[in-house]
Amino acid sequence: MVDLYSRRRMANRIVVSLSIGAALLGITWLVLILGQLLIEGFGALSLAVFTEMTPPPGSTGGLRNAIFGTAVMTSIAILLGTPIGILAGTYLAEYGRESKLAMVVRFINDVLLSAPSIVIGLFIYEMMVIHMGHFSAWAGAVALAVIVIPVVLRTTEDMLNLVPTGLREAATALGAPRYFVIRRVAYKAARNGIVTGILLAVARISGETAPLLFTALNNQFWSTDLNAPMANLPVVIFQFALSPYEDWRKLAWVGALLITMAILAVNIGARALAGRKAS
Amino acid sequence: MPQHIVQRYDDELKKLSTLIVQMGGLAESQLAAAVDAIVKRDSKLAEEVVRGDAKIDTLRNQVDDFAIEMLARRQPMAADLRVIVAALRISSEIERIGDYAKNVAKRAVALNQAPLVRPVHAIPRMAALVQALIKDTLDAYITDDAAKADAVWARDEEVDDLYTSLFRELLTYMMEDPRSITPCTHLLFIAKNIERIGDHATNIAELIHYTVLGEMPKEDRPKGDDTAYAVVNAPGGQR
Amino acid sequence: MTVETLDPIAKQADTTMPPKVSIENLAFFYGESKALKNISLPLHDRKVTAFIGPSGCGKSTLLRILNRIYEMYPKQRAEGKVVVDGLNILDKGTDLNMLRAKIGMVFQKPTPFPMSIYENIAFGVRLYERLGKEEMDERVESALRKAALWEEVKNKLHSSGLGLSGGQQQRLCIARTVAVRPEIILLDEPCSALDPISTAKIEELIDELKDDYTIAIVTHNMQQAARTSDFTAFMYLGELIEFGETKQIFTHPGKQQTQDYITGRFG
Repeated sequence: MVDLYSRRRMANRIVVSLSIGAALLGITWLVLILGQLLIEGFGALSLAVFTEMTPPPGSTGGLRNAIFGTAVMTSIAILLGTPIGILAGTYLAEYGRESKLAMVVRFINDVLLSAPSIVIGLFIYEMMVIHMGHFSAWAGAVALAVIVIPVVLRTTEDMLNLVPTGLREAATALGAPRYFVIRRVAYKAARNGIVTGILLAVARISGETAPLLFTALNNQFWSTDLNAPMANLPVVIFQFALSPYEDWRKLAWVGALLITMAILAVNIGARALAGRKAS
Repeated sequence: MPQHIVQRYDDELKKLSTLIVQMGGLAESQLAAAVDAIVKRDSKLAEEVVRGDAKIDTLRNQVDDFAIEMLARRQPMAADLRVIVAALRISSEIERIGDYAKNVAKRAVALNQAPLVRPVHAIPRMAALVQALIKDTLDAYITDDAAKADAVWARDEEVDDLYTSLFRELLTYMMEDPRSITPCTHLLFIAKNIERIGDHATNIAELIHYTVLGEMPKEDRPKGDDTAYAVVNAPGGQR
Repeated sequence: MTVETLDPIAKQADTTMPPKVSIENLAFFYGESKALKNISLPLHDRKVTAFIGPSGCGKSTLLRILNRIYEMYPKQRAEGKVVVDGLNILDKGTDLNMLRAKIGMVFQKPTPFPMSIYENIAFGVRLYERLGKEEMDERVESALRKAALWEEVKNKLHSSGLGLSGGQQQRLCIARTVAVRPEIILLDEPCSALDPISTAKIEELIDELKDDYTIAIVTHNMQQAARTSDFTAFMYLGELIEFGETKQIFTHPGKQQTQDYITGRFG
């Protein structure tokens, strides 16, 4: 008995130590990456970053056009993808449930959720860029929207499924028709969760590089034309970081810092929302 | 006591005590009428009393039925439980009082056919005393007054004393004049019945004590009835 | 005898009136399995009828047929008749939403909607009536008063219904049901998640509501059935074993099975 107990305690200690070790190892890398990013990024941060355009090699400049482009394409992608995601998620949770069609949609959505983003980029390149004959901000936004849809769809379905059946029954028992129950009660109960899902989708797409390489490409200059290529942070970072020029690489660090901070902010926002729901 | 959250519960308890009080009042007046029938030698009144006992029995059934329903439906606890259990027992005490009153009335009819016996005046005195006991008991019941109930409980001794002296008196009469044996025996039983009514009133007082305080009175009740040990020697029979 | 007129509690049920609801040869299926067999009983107008029986006996199922809430789920089906005011509500042509407005339901777990106390009550009313602000205010107040909740919430009508205690939430749900002005109220174990004091408050409420509504209550607490109802139905394994006046069921039941159940001798 005692022997068995002490063996169990020993095994417990070993496993706990291993787990703590693994956690520390993981966090170490994160701290190193963030540390490097903060040092390099803040070192190069200046007001010019927000006021000047991406420079040709050898001259000074900023990231103004890239920040703008990322903001514009992310917004459009969210505006396009969110309604589709929410409606499809509603279908799966409220109407389709266990039907054949719902099963298929759910499966395909899971595949899409984990699909490499470069594949999505390539797909939009084929569908839009080839047909239109040029790269464009539209194509970039659509590519990002395709990434948004499965994320929002999934969270919407999950959040609606979390709405207690009792709440739906209660509303139905008052004589409310189904669409009314969904719109006025289920959405309301799931709202924080769905908004959290959208925020996570924002965080996800604001760092995507691969799909933009094939669609929006890049633009050295200020452009608000959605039918033309548009600068954006991920692609700028990609290009500048790989270049041999010192000042480009510095700007790449700043860009990386900005994206990281933005994503961090959005994640914290999402956490705060999710936390409020739990209380 | 504060009200129940469920108002109907209070209504039901009120109804139960109303029934009890009604029953007690009826028993009290039955006794008064029976004794009246003796004093006034009114056989018609006596017969009315005999018939009237059925009312008390009906009420008793109602109380029991209602109390059982309350036990089944309300699952009473603590004070409520005592009130309802006491009501069940009080109703049977009152029912016994009614029976004794009825018996007094029956004997009144027999008594009226025999010549008047002297000590008849002692009976109404005893009855008045017992009636007061019943009345005070009912008052104590309505007001949940344990002190008043305890006072009734102590006062029964007077009734017992009165009964003991009446017992001796009647025995003496019977020995003096054997023709008076029949009416005197009836009177003896009447006195005994009234004395028993007093005992039931004190039982009710004990139950009130229990209802209010949660326990039966601890000390033994003072008893004044020692007729069980009474020996009266026949005149000239002394040796 | 004067005693009868003195009786403040008229408990004698008037069974000469036609019942508000008449359940006739009702059967219910979950897919292939038969959950209710050949149930027939009345729900008397403005009386409380309690359904008791062990878990799985079908009492909740029976209640869920009365407003056809089971239709929310596929593969559930009822056979037989449920006649309410002369109409069989199981008929195909029945307008389910109107039916549910007429037959309200309160569930086991309190289910306040994630909105303010006021909106919780206005929600159901808005489905059927266009009321001005003042009329709606009045309706909300009267519903909350009927549910004995007004005094507790009148100063926080616009804060969330989720912030109330369990007992208050359940009374809010009753107020919400009452606000739609139904004729029949179905209570599905309304006190099983509540403490004794909240339970007593709900029971007092049921006692008051029966002046205006026909009430059916499912409870696994048979003492509650004894306390609150005028009629009691004992069910077992999907069958109605005994139906009668509550006093009779709890003092001298007619069937041995009923006796065994209510005395805790159930095998």
